Amino acid sequence: MTVVAHTPPRRAAWLGLKRKLTAVRARFHPAVWPVLVAGMAAGAVGYVAAVDPGTPGHYPTCPFYALTGYYCPGCGTLRAIHALAHGHPGQALGYNVLSMSMLPVLGYFWGAWLIRSVRGQPRQALAHPAWIWGLAAVIAVFWVVRNLPFGHFLAPTGRI
Amino acid sequence: MSYGNYPNPQPNPQWPGYPPSASPDNHLVWAILTTIFCCLPFGIVSIVFAAQVNSKWSLGDYQGAIESSQKAKTWAIVSAACGVGVGIIYGIFIAVVASRNGGVAPTNP
Repeated sequence: MTVVAHTPPRRAAWLGLKRKLTAVRARFHPAVWPVLVAGMAAGAVGYVAAVDPGTPGHYPTCPFYALTGYYCPGCGTLRAIHALAHGHPGQALGYNVLSMSMLPVLGYFWGAWLIRSVRGQPRQALAHPAWIWGLAAVIAVFWVVRNLPFGHFLAPTGRI
Repeated sequence: MSYGNYPNPQPNPQWPGYPPSASPDNHLVWAILTTIFCCLPFGIVSIVFAAQVNSKWSLGDYQGAIESSQKAKTWAIVSAACGVGVGIIYGIFIAVVASRNGGVAPTNP
């Protein structure tokens, strides 16, 4: 209790909130969370499939594009998800080839998370750092090239 | 000092240089989601810190890896919060413009 007395009030409130969240989390089986996340992702995809991002006014314009006039690495992702959900993978790749190629990676991460949760195992090992530095480099190069004239095929035009 | 969810961040005193019990989370998924699926360039900072987590961990700098993990988490939260904030501001903007135009939302360029 003396520890609590010396903790600043805001920090104590934060620690209390953290403790409560941990208690809530402990009440459910760990595998509930990956399943919940998959459900939320399915809901989001369903919404993007139903509400066309190609129609102006449905979604906010990318803030980076609105401010600078240049595409960000994510520009075209909503239209790509819409196209993919409607069964047009070629069109989806035309909108944003990077985010579409990230989908299997995210699927792999999700699967690993689910297996860890079901077995109750902690994270065992980290990937070789070169993979993540490589990913950062790919994103940076993609970001620049899709804004250059010769890289127009990477811009979110969707015409493929 | 707080180490988040890692209760045993110190290298094992009996066998110096051995890693702590569990490797820190590099929060890479949040970094990818905010960079590519939220259209927010802040996420790229998070990816760099995620890469640092793995680099430092593989070199045996466990303390440094945990610090980079915290920074990756912070930047992922910043990116996600900016995404939500931009969405809310846009929603208000659209509502205001639509009410002035007599219920018609503006069109994108």
